[in-house]
Amino acid sequence: MAMLIPYGQRVTPDDPTVSSRGLMRPRPGGRTLRLTIAALLTVWFALPLVPLLLWFFADRWSAPAVLPTEWGFDGVTSALANGAVPAFGQSLALALVVAAIATPLGAMAARALTRGAVPFPRLVSGILLAPLALPAFVAVMGLTIVLLRARVPGVVGVVILLVAAALPYTVYTMRVAYAAHDLAYEDEARTLGASRWNVLWRVHLPLVAPGLARAAFLAFLVGWSDYVITVLVGGGTIVTLPLLVASFAAGVGNDAVVAVLSVSAIVPPLVLLLALGRFGRRYPTASYLHGPTASQSPKGSP
Amino acid sequence: MSATLEIDALVKTFGAATALDGISFAVSAGECLAVLGPSGSGKSTVLRSIAGLDVPSSGRILVDGADVAGVAPERRGMAMVFQRPLLFPHLSVLDNVAFAATVSGQPKSEARADARQFLELVQLEGFGDRSITALSGGQEQRVALARALAARPRVLLLDEPFSALDPELRADMHSLLGQIRRQLNPTIVMVTHDRDEAAVVADRVALLSTGRLLQHDTVERLYTRPASIEVSRLMGGRIELAGEVRSGVHHSAIGAVLAPEGETWADGPGMLVVRHEAVHVSTLPVEVPPGMVGVEVVVADRRARGPRAEITLACGDGLLEAEVPASRPLAVGQSATAHIPRSACTVVPAP
Amino acid sequence: MSLALVSPALLVAGFVVIGGIGMSLVQSLGLLPLVGVPSLSLDAYLANGEELLIGTGLSLAIATASTVLSCIIGLTAAVVITQGRRTGRIVAAVSALTIPIPHLIGAAAIGLLISDAGIIPRMLGIPGTEWPDLVGGPWWVAVVLEYTWKESAFVALVVAAVLATRVARYDETAALLGAGRARRLRHVVIPLARPAVIVSAIIIFVYTFGSYEVAWLLGRPYPEPLPVLAFRLFDSITLTSRPEAAAVAVVTTAISLAVVAIGMACLRRTPLWK
Repeated sequence: MAMLIPYGQRVTPDDPTVSSRGLMRPRPGGRTLRLTIAALLTVWFALPLVPLLLWFFADRWSAPAVLPTEWGFDGVTSALANGAVPAFGQSLALALVVAAIATPLGAMAARALTRGAVPFPRLVSGILLAPLALPAFVAVMGLTIVLLRARVPGVVGVVILLVAAALPYTVYTMRVAYAAHDLAYEDEARTLGASRWNVLWRVHLPLVAPGLARAAFLAFLVGWSDYVITVLVGGGTIVTLPLLVASFAAGVGNDAVVAVLSVSAIVPPLVLLLALGRFGRRYPTASYLHGPTASQSPKGSP
Repeated sequence: MSATLEIDALVKTFGAATALDGISFAVSAGECLAVLGPSGSGKSTVLRSIAGLDVPSSGRILVDGADVAGVAPERRGMAMVFQRPLLFPHLSVLDNVAFAATVSGQPKSEARADARQFLELVQLEGFGDRSITALSGGQEQRVALARALAARPRVLLLDEPFSALDPELRADMHSLLGQIRRQLNPTIVMVTHDRDEAAVVADRVALLSTGRLLQHDTVERLYTRPASIEVSRLMGGRIELAGEVRSGVHHSAIGAVLAPEGETWADGPGMLVVRHEAVHVSTLPVEVPPGMVGVEVVVADRRARGPRAEITLACGDGLLEAEVPASRPLAVGQSATAHIPRSACTVVPAP
Repeated sequence: MSLALVSPALLVAGFVVIGGIGMSLVQSLGLLPLVGVPSLSLDAYLANGEELLIGTGLSLAIATASTVLSCIIGLTAAVVITQGRRTGRIVAAVSALTIPIPHLIGAAAIGLLISDAGIIPRMLGIPGTEWPDLVGGPWWVAVVLEYTWKESAFVALVVAAVLATRVARYDETAALLGAGRARRLRHVVIPLARPAVIVSAIIIFVYTFGSYEVAWLLGRPYPEPLPVLAFRLFDSITLTSRPEAAAVAVVTTAISLAVVAIGMACLRRTPLWK
């Protein structure tokens, strides 16, 4: 408990590196335990990326050696020779198209659902979230026959299925954004003489922009990461990075190529994630949109 | 259960910004102190530092004479009620109140029996089994208060606990707090930006502005004997008469004013301040009563305020303010006499 | 107006969900053969009865193990992220790093890490011949590890967001009421995080239960989890294999939906659910 210190004897000020938040002050017993757990978690999350980076620069790395025996860029050369660049381009195009379609569709649906004027709202939001609960291969196996008979081109089929897979994420993200979005801003703008179009572009979209960015990022990830839908519905018309990685990883002795392709599949979403973080910080509404605003409003009298 | 609290030269900096700049005050056992100040004055930081939620950059906090530096918030024996009730959403009303006893390892039945008494104290007997979502805003804050009291705090900390409630509920909570003080006599530190609330609830007030303690005094003296022009303005004082004190008498546009009985004013330039509530306006020729200063004035402005009217009175360059019932026919341009009790006058240093 | 806003998304999702399940069901019952006359039968379900049963068990086991491990590790990470300062930021950064990595890439990385020629046996100095069959072995270790690696980061992200925004003030209140770290964790933090953990668990279970590429790349040829079985039948050239693949899809869907229903029931029983 508290030590008795005579009056007038000033306690030395805190070490400035110690957090000023009382609950986060380190306490000796828990500190060692917490540091150990944190170290283990860091290793857990980061370790699988190590072989990718090492193999990226390895020309030769035979079995017992702990580090590559010959460094170089043979993997890069080989990956380029095996269509890495077109695969990268097709992955990027597919992911961007999915994001460009699923984000506005999700935002529109979320806006309608938050304003509460949709008939059977529970059923509608259930259907919009359902692709999360439906394994991708089920949709593929059911629908290939429909898409084939309707003569829908493979690429279009892939995009339709991926947009559906991305919708739960965009709808949910935008519902969170719209729940915190105060419609009074739009009413205010109308009373100040802004047209509907002006309200949309100058008030509504800027206010939900952080939400839109998050939704678009998640939709991009769905398109960028997919394997099953692209391989089955695309039927070879598009070869994305995951398809290329899969074909090399299933073979033997392609470790360097797999590493190079994997790294190139990791970098774009990571760059987007960092950009998203910066965007969220720069934009002041982002933090307040996520705050517990709903429960903050004081309740009225009983 | 009640403890004394002493704050000694508390300093808190956030990076380059100074939130608290050497705050010192003491609260005796069973006293209720209101920490009053405009937003950004650092009053919440004082409270969070006492609670241990913020760590001060320097200075001491003594509870019953013992320094609590380095003592974890949960071991300080404080309890705090925030503006938001922050009732645990996964617990019933009763289990919220029983929380402190539960986490201290008491058997659940004892903890609940104990909690029931505190629910009764805040006049919510029978609400124990409800979910907290079934409570109104005022009831939520009562439960939060009961939960804090059930923790048997050595010092009860209130951080603007009633400012989200409407005026009627707030008045109810003030009388509830008064009743709790009579029954349990806890030491209370309450942060508020509402000087009327401070006046109703607290014995003494520590007035803060931009991280500095301007005055620590009784409510009455804060109104009638402000230590500075800043205090006078923060407390809503409207009359400021620039002038000079010569041989203990203040000379200004309204003439000479002698210091109240038993007080002396230092010679030199000084601002005479007096509460507008103390100014009496007379339109009939009457003798100036003893202990009063009579000033011949002209009504310069009149503003309706419902049942009352605010009027501005000019006396040469000097302006006085007063409040009169709305029914009094004092029109702009009319002459009158203002009577100011000497005991209501204070001279503060000129800004 | 609202209907116009919601209908494009609803059409796409409805087409894929209802069409996908409906057409799988129709095909699996023999009503849509590639050639020949449609006739209602359960042949497609019975043709691979034993494999279907074993696959169901295997898929359930993989999904359960991955879900449980992900939730434990992810919840721990979320607590470290919100309670520690510098350590919390580091864990937050590395876990966020794994979020955007495609599962297939994760599978390739896990393979390079723990196969018999992987980095870990090399670092430990264990020859490949003595290293246990983690990749393609009988216990599906590599598959569960890959799912757990990716999904624990997901749990950490979701739960840490809830802890940081909703739970921080309650944590302070509890501390002021005398609750120490361990008791705050037990009485406040974990109960308040429960709904987020349940939602994450449902999503992880359904995903790992119905996901193909990781199990295919890091698993063994037999027995097959349901998605791998369905894939093989779908790609096979015999005329009856398409309805059989559809039958596997229907079984997978039914179990997924049942798990979602159970999860939602658990969620409704938590006191926080409105």
